[in-house]
Amino acid sequence: MEELMSHTGGRVPTRDRLSQLAVSETGFIFDPQTGQSFSVNPTGLIVLDLLKRGSTLDVASNSLADRCGIPVEIASSSVEAFILQLGRYL
Amino acid sequence: MKASRTKGKSWQNYKVAVTGINARAENPGPGCAVARCIQEHPLFKGSIIGLGYDALDAGLYARHLCNNSYLIPYPSEGEEALLYRLAQIHKAEGLDAIIPCLDSELQNFGRLKSELQLMGISMLIPSRDQFNLRAKNHLGTFCESIGVHAPESKSLSNPSFFDSCEKEGWKYPLIVKGIFYDAYVVHTAFEAKSVFAKLISTWGYPVLVQKLVIGDELNLAAVGDGKGNMLGAVTMRKKALTEKGKAWAGVSIVDEGLTKVAEQIIGALSWRGPLEVEVIKGYDGKIYLIEINPRFPSWIYLSHAVGRNLPVAVLKLLSGITELELSEPSSGTFFIRHAQELIVTLPEFETVLTEGRLAPQMVQDQIIRSA
Repeated sequence: MEELMSHTGGRVPTRDRLSQLAVSETGFIFDPQTGQSFSVNPTGLIVLDLLKRGSTLDVASNSLADRCGIPVEIASSSVEAFILQLGRYL
Repeated sequence: MKASRTKGKSWQNYKVAVTGINARAENPGPGCAVARCIQEHPLFKGSIIGLGYDALDAGLYARHLCNNSYLIPYPSEGEEALLYRLAQIHKAEGLDAIIPCLDSELQNFGRLKSELQLMGISMLIPSRDQFNLRAKNHLGTFCESIGVHAPESKSLSNPSFFDSCEKEGWKYPLIVKGIFYDAYVVHTAFEAKSVFAKLISTWGYPVLVQKLVIGDELNLAAVGDGKGNMLGAVTMRKKALTEKGKAWAGVSIVDEGLTKVAEQIIGALSWRGPLEVEVIKGYDGKIYLIEINPRFPSWIYLSHAVGRNLPVAVLKLLSGITELELSEPSSGTFFIRHAQELIVTLPEFETVLTEGRLAPQMVQDQIIRSA
């Protein structure tokens, strides 16, 4: 199973796990393995969509930086924080 | 339809009797949901006969589910009384199959299997050994024998256990269960002893105590072919509970771990018939087996909704069809249970009470017109 990133401070979902999620256009997410559902905001939806399509963390961060007009460093730390937050739900 | 082996009458024209048609909102029997699965199958042209135990069993009067209905004797009256009553009903209706839906009646139906078969009535039910091996008081031993995790549990006949249990490593909260039905979470010895007394008076000895496992409650309904194969499974995660801990809302999911556990159980027991596997998926990732129920659950209508109509699968198997044509397992279909009032006329209630059967619709209409 491909790890999205190495991190020791929290649970990081694998790419396989993310690919299982059903994600609607509005950011409503259903986890078919647990039956849990939750929502992500539009920014989270952009990142999740990129990761589900197989983008690396760097590609996702660059794309988020471009689309939101923010420095890549900020986008990158936001993406990492988002992935760790997702890990708490999955 | 592909039929690998067919014997006589098609399942589509079966007259099927279904028990467990009590429908109390907080803890409904599975019978009405089983009847609904069959009635709503597009190929079913037969009829459903509801078998109830009490004149207030709602399914007796639910004509959209049961084409006709009868009262049968309580399980405590034994198999001879049941056989006598079933013979009367069979004479009037010409039954092809019975789907028993309650734990407490299965032993009686099991003992009558050969007699009913001779009368032309089939059932897909477990043997006495299969039924006993999965019983709540044998579950720990069974789980150990097949390498499946189970919360530690103990069979009790004396409530004094609850006063000293913490010294023996049984920390509150604990689960206290009746031998057939009902389970309560208890937090103190006082509460535990009160629940113990309640369960003894309702279900008799023994009472079971189980350590609480924290995690997600998952349920799986399936059918075993009696040769160790699981023929179809539907998995559900409870989303909301009634006061009795029954599913009030749920969603279909696919959990490979639970599916494997269910396959192991069915394989080890060579289970024949419907069953429900209740587990807790602990936050440690392990699956803990809580219960194996020897019949369909009351949420079985979800199986129809996800294209895996298990009650119809039972009818197909009874008619000799082994190609069940079930859809692939799928997730994301929700159900929300709701209570509804059934209107019952005085003549309907009267005939159930006095004759143990529901008056046919035409007779009823005449009674109402002449009143």
